[in-house]
Amino acid sequence: MTIGLLRRAFLLGAGLAAALSGAATAGEYSLTVDPVTVDTGAFTRSGIGYNGATPGPVLRFREGEDVTIRVTNNLSEPTSIHWHGLILPFEQDGVPGISYEGIAPGETFTYRFPIVQSGTYWFHSHTGFQEPDGAYGAIVIEPTKREPFRYDREYVVQLTDAHPHSGNRIMRNLKMMPDYYNRKQRTLFDFLRDTREQGFDAALSDRSAWGDMRMMPTDIEDLQGFTPLMNGKSSAQNWTGLFTPGERIRLRFINSSAMTYFDIRIPGLKMTVVQADGNNVLPVPVDEFRIAVAETYDILVQPKEDTPFAIFAESMGRTSSVRGTLATAEGQKGDIPDLRKPPLLTMADMGMAHEGMDHGAMSMAGGTHTMPDGSAMKGMDHSKMAMPVGAHTMPDGSTMKGMDHSTMDMGTSDPFYAPGSGLMPTAANGGKFLSYNDLRTQKPLYPHREATREIELRLTGNMERYMWSINGIKYADAEPIRLQYGERVRFKFVNETMMTHPMHLHGMWSILDTGKGKWNPVKHVVSVAPGTTLFMETEVDAPGQWAFHCHLSYHADSGMFRKVIVEGGPEGKAAALPVKTEG
Amino acid sequence: MSSSSILGAVLGASLSFALLSSGPALAAGSHGGGHGMHDMKIGKPGDPAKVSRTIEITMYDNYYEPESLDIKEGETIRFVVRNAGEFVHEFNIATAAMHEAHRPEMMMMMEHGVLEPDRINLEAAKAMQASMGHGMHNEANSVLLEPGKSGEIVWTFPKHADLEFACNVPGHYETGMHGKVKLSH
Amino acid sequence: MFTRYAALSAFSAFLLASPVSAEQLFWGIQAEQLEWRSGEGSEAFAWDADAFVGTDELKVVWRSEAEYATGPSSFETLENQLRLQVPVSTFFDAVAGVRYDSPDEGPHRTYGVLGLHGLAKQWFEVDADLYLSEYPSARFEVEYEGLITNRVIFTPSIELDIPLVDDEATSRAAFGPKLEVGGRLSYDLLDRAIAPYVGVHWERTFGKSGRLVRAEGEDDDVVSLVVGFRLMF
Repeated sequence: MTIGLLRRAFLLGAGLAAALSGAATAGEYSLTVDPVTVDTGAFTRSGIGYNGATPGPVLRFREGEDVTIRVTNNLSEPTSIHWHGLILPFEQDGVPGISYEGIAPGETFTYRFPIVQSGTYWFHSHTGFQEPDGAYGAIVIEPTKREPFRYDREYVVQLTDAHPHSGNRIMRNLKMMPDYYNRKQRTLFDFLRDTREQGFDAALSDRSAWGDMRMMPTDIEDLQGFTPLMNGKSSAQNWTGLFTPGERIRLRFINSSAMTYFDIRIPGLKMTVVQADGNNVLPVPVDEFRIAVAETYDILVQPKEDTPFAIFAESMGRTSSVRGTLATAEGQKGDIPDLRKPPLLTMADMGMAHEGMDHGAMSMAGGTHTMPDGSAMKGMDHSKMAMPVGAHTMPDGSTMKGMDHSTMDMGTSDPFYAPGSGLMPTAANGGKFLSYNDLRTQKPLYPHREATREIELRLTGNMERYMWSINGIKYADAEPIRLQYGERVRFKFVNETMMTHPMHLHGMWSILDTGKGKWNPVKHVVSVAPGTTLFMETEVDAPGQWAFHCHLSYHADSGMFRKVIVEGGPEGKAAALPVKTEG
Repeated sequence: MSSSSILGAVLGASLSFALLSSGPALAAGSHGGGHGMHDMKIGKPGDPAKVSRTIEITMYDNYYEPESLDIKEGETIRFVVRNAGEFVHEFNIATAAMHEAHRPEMMMMMEHGVLEPDRINLEAAKAMQASMGHGMHNEANSVLLEPGKSGEIVWTFPKHADLEFACNVPGHYETGMHGKVKLSH
Repeated sequence: MFTRYAALSAFSAFLLASPVSAEQLFWGIQAEQLEWRSGEGSEAFAWDADAFVGTDELKVVWRSEAEYATGPSSFETLENQLRLQVPVSTFFDAVAGVRYDSPDEGPHRTYGVLGLHGLAKQWFEVDADLYLSEYPSARFEVEYEGLITNRVIFTPSIELDIPLVDDEATSRAAFGPKLEVGGRLSYDLLDRAIAPYVGVHWERTFGKSGRLVRAEGEDDDVVSLVVGFRLMF
């Protein structure tokens, strides 16, 4: 942790020295915001892009440089660009009404900020529904130091969900009829099948339990009808990344979707997760991972055979998918697997098992495993592991087989889902599915310390009115959240809805509490599953005012959004807050 | 008992445990006896008196300097290994298959708290050693080091072998922390 | 200077109402019924439609219901309501407004409207309205969407209209209710915008109201086959 601090200090120092001497490496970039045509193969519609395309270009920055980005608005409406995950002065954060007033039609706005981090990020419009309409691009920042992993080539894999309807129309339809886009509702035939399988009484009482709540167990994605795209290409259009057998390839996955979570796998290849939300993590070999909206994950793969491999991203509700290919020659196509059976939400997802979700006092199916160092072990349900003959007894009394982790069903014990949740992911090949519990930061950015206070944020909503809110209050009616510079705030998210919410705090890191102390992963989006409580901590080190919201476009827009004001700060660093004139 | 010997014992124990319990995976690289890595196919612990040269290995996060080794057949080398990274790393000479079989072992140690990202938990290691009723011995083909620590291996290479040096701390091999041992006449 | 400028402009933008904090206005048009009714000796064109504009907190709804007979062409019923809806619970809105009836035959009537509109348990869509005038009445409507598949939908509906006092000019008598029961089988042809359907519609007038209807030479018990479209924009 001292090293993390030192690194920050070094970076700050270097930045300062560079600024004073005027010798900083300076990158100049320009972007135009343009009306474009989105062609998914399934449909064509008008949308918004950058430099004439959606997704926009990959912006490549270098850690330590000062960037100047000129953004010209060629639209007939105002726009904005938010640099998602970047640590920068609040005036440069690009949220209209919070950071600045936005960019008027025909105008050019010049962003200037130092790059103080490295990794994979992205940028997008923060105005209206321009982002779901196509206004996004990728950011890759080269570190000053050597990466803690080796690769021979890299690709950005940006996932998006194109919809035939414009964002405004979708929002209006949802307000008129909240299940407008749910075409996976349970039907008479589902009832007949359930009656056959579970008996009439059970089927009826299940229907009546959901009917009582006026909610649907099939309502996982909130919105359907998307055509997912990989780097702007649908399955048929087949985005292709070339490789030479034996090469190690870094794939920078970015989920720039409006609403869609993806489960990603590359059948035939083990993936090693090396970075999450731009920060390196201790490498985790996995078979499959789920990427929440607005998250990024960097993975390494090493295909050794001269054969195409499908990169397959399946939506969490299994209503859509996209395939791209890692190929040794253009024109090759990876096989498209069948969509798996859609999950159903359970009463656990409705918050009926809330008490069981306290990470601090989680009871495991097989009893909590107390480790020799006195810590309790989470997320490893040994009782469910198959034990072959000759199993070894561990000091903690648990037994352990010959350690074939690749076939352990780890997915059934992900503590970041409500116990019994229908959303609990499992890998298609029965192998390892990444959990938040597996993420350990490679470089703690801050010393680990007790939070100075806790702020509870209940994630709330009214599905029938398509209203989303925090603590029951939507953004339009809410007071800002006021934080003091220098404090470490512990946010307690209590998800009282049946949707999964990717919560995104601008300007400061979100340290996800996985119970690993200083190794807790450092993120910019934390996904809160239904029926769960999740904690994240933030070192309040960025004066100014910032946006804090659910990154599902239609949830943010309908009110699951807050302004955060960071008050105070050292002399010369405190922001000139508009709030001071307000008061 | 000194910490290094406990460590060695635990590593050895876990290593031989891997050999016993996942036989098929190792059939190619080992005769599967109780002596673990002491297999002529990968070479053997060297006699310090016969060392022909010393090679310095620096371990970073997560790669080695140098990234590959040129060794003469039958040569005895003293490896001075320094961990200049911020995480625990291993320098281990074996075949790719043996490394592969070793990795789940290291995963087990990490999951049970013996192997922490930047330190080795000796309390956990002791507890683990106590429960292992068999085959405690130091393994001469590998050294596991906390950040800032250094260690030594003296190793006599065989005539023909397809060897790698590698770090099997979970995720490190996969992200490229391994190199070829090129054996020449 | 830059910081100060940005802060000032951020503040002015805040005052001018930012895109995310502005109260958004939504609108929609929905015709639950837009159909041809063919019964014993009666043919009619009928609709039951809503249009709304508003926010989460307040909606203005125009509701229109009509039956236009083709024998001698005339509006047998023509009701228009202007309703204000305000949320009062998770699933229900309170309604207040006016209703104006202007059939071709018989007197025109104006009512004040008080009611509840929302979604009851088990997905029953409910309207309960009290129509206030010198000829008050109450109306209760329930509708249910039964999904055969996600696009083939069977919609049973019940509407019960109860006059609270005698109004012989409109052939209605106190507590002589009129009952409408329907069953419509639709198919979502184009998204949810256009869904053609077929079904049956049964109208029965009870009690003294029934006698008044019969005295007019009309049937107090009519079963019609219906064919039409459900529309949503």
